[in-house]
Amino acid sequence: MDSAAGQARGVLVAMLKIDSLSVAYGDRVVLEEVSFEVLPGEILALIGPNGAGKSTLIRAASGVVPTISGRVSVNGDDLTGMSHSRRAKILAVVPQARQMGGAYSVKQAVMMGRTPYLNWLGQEGEADKAAVHLALEQTGLDTFADRQIAKLSGGEQQRVLLARALAQETPVMLLDEPTNHLDLQHQTNLLSLVKKLAKEKQLAVLMALHDLNLVSFYADKVALIVNGKLKCLGTPAEVIRAEHISAAFRTPVDVVSHPVTGAPIIFPQGVSDR
Amino acid sequence: MILDLSKLIRHRPYLLNTLLLLTAFIFSVALGAVFIPPETIFRILASQLSGLNITQDWPESFSAIILAVRLPHTVLVVMTGAALGSSGAAYQGLFRNPLADPYLIGVASGAGLGAVFSMALNWPTSLLGFYLVPVGAFVGAILTVVLVYNLARVDGLVPLTTLILAGVAIGAFASALTSFLMLRTELQLHRAISFLLGGSPIAGWNPVIAVLPYMLVGMGLLTVSGHMLNVLQFGEEEAKQMGLNVDRAKVFIIVVASLTTAVAVAFSGVIGFVGLIVPHVIRIIWGPDYRRLIPLSILGGGSVLLLADMLARILMAPSTLPVGIVTAMAGAPFFLWILRRAKREVFW
Repeated sequence: MDSAAGQARGVLVAMLKIDSLSVAYGDRVVLEEVSFEVLPGEILALIGPNGAGKSTLIRAASGVVPTISGRVSVNGDDLTGMSHSRRAKILAVVPQARQMGGAYSVKQAVMMGRTPYLNWLGQEGEADKAAVHLALEQTGLDTFADRQIAKLSGGEQQRVLLARALAQETPVMLLDEPTNHLDLQHQTNLLSLVKKLAKEKQLAVLMALHDLNLVSFYADKVALIVNGKLKCLGTPAEVIRAEHISAAFRTPVDVVSHPVTGAPIIFPQGVSDR
Repeated sequence: MILDLSKLIRHRPYLLNTLLLLTAFIFSVALGAVFIPPETIFRILASQLSGLNITQDWPESFSAIILAVRLPHTVLVVMTGAALGSSGAAYQGLFRNPLADPYLIGVASGAGLGAVFSMALNWPTSLLGFYLVPVGAFVGAILTVVLVYNLARVDGLVPLTTLILAGVAIGAFASALTSFLMLRTELQLHRAISFLLGGSPIAGWNPVIAVLPYMLVGMGLLTVSGHMLNVLQFGEEEAKQMGLNVDRAKVFIIVVASLTTAVAVAFSGVIGFVGLIVPHVIRIIWGPDYRRLIPLSILGGGSVLLLADMLARILMAPSTLPVGIVTAMAGAPFFLWILRRAKREVFW
């Protein structure tokens, strides 16, 4: 039903392509010649130590940080240099939950995802209301629609940001460490929801994530980034291996297979020695 | 019944604020050295319309008082309050700070300097002088805001603390220049000082005609910027990711809010607190949506300044206090009361 509604509303299916992307802050190169692709319906997780360039990649792809070379394209359209309002119809970003605009209601905040579609008076039409309604439904926020954001829990606030990105009706979605500050239950709820939406709506999802075990459960592909360079790209089983992770995070780790799913599970070596 | 009233307040913001403004308007025209009852006011107004046959049952002087003095004065006060309320709301949204108001960031002082500078040229002896004053105030306001903005910018960002420090410093500098101008030129000092305290020194329709076009354009454009202000509340980066052209939106809002402030200052002087209090009260009662906050601040600003103006005329009758003194004396404690009451709720 949801995906049918999505297609009826003309949502594109598209592939995200990052091509030799380089970013510098002043003289310091923070991202160097990174290339990969995210296919429709696929979740690609960005992993790597703090400061490796994961957030920078997401900010550069969403046009808020200038790039020095390379391309970010969706179905062949170059996004670098595109106006914010055009880009916002192609690519949506779910930021980390923060205290901002707390006095707005959930519905008002989600409606702001419709910015690129609203007229110059900022008035919402039927299509905008329908998109917001659908996004609230998909994120299970319909009963919260009139609550103030500030009065929600951290997990609920993060779902508001997800709903806002869904309301943008884009074929590509980027998430910047969406599970930070969430407890286990809310982490898995949110990621399961993202995974379900990615499959149903055939979204290309690029997500920076810290927790490697969550990555191996939820991601279809993993890109390991260290010091601004792409070190390793592949399935979780290919990337999350003891030699890659130990080197990248400068911490000796052991990797075992999940007894049921076979997904790689990671332990710092200090733990498994006991 | 009480429940109905609170429901009415919550769901009919425009109706309520319009009624308040109309009531204040009628009282403002009625009050003065002689009280002229509202009924007579309506009859005098109606008698001005051709085609209506109304027999005059009031003293001749009443017509003159209403039409040449009280009506233009009241209209000017309403427009000034509306401009201050709506530009205050816009500045608060733009800088994402409940304290931002035209005075704190130096814009009002810059507008005051521009206005006094134009007055020093040929004010108020010619009609041209009238039209120059708002232009001078606007130029002063824009120069100030551009200067403050650039001084406050660090690595492409404008942190709030440097913004307000730069605003206070530039504002003080502009005020000093204004005082210097008043001392060194032929300007009628008394009039300029009463202007700076927030008392409109000129009566009649001329100032109303001089500010009207700017006010309509300024407040109209502020009303249109409501959605941009909403999106900006989530931070500039997220606003860009949601598809807002942030740089263009910021320049647009700064220019329009400064224009609106400048015209308010040009003919009514420096009146504090209206731009701070009105948007706050509206936000507390009707929420943070700027698409509604700005037009409601226009209506509410008009009512609040009319109320202050009536007090200014009554308190020490027959002499009149500068309205800026009243808004500051009533506004400061009221603001503190709001802050204490509002502590546990989220309005921002």
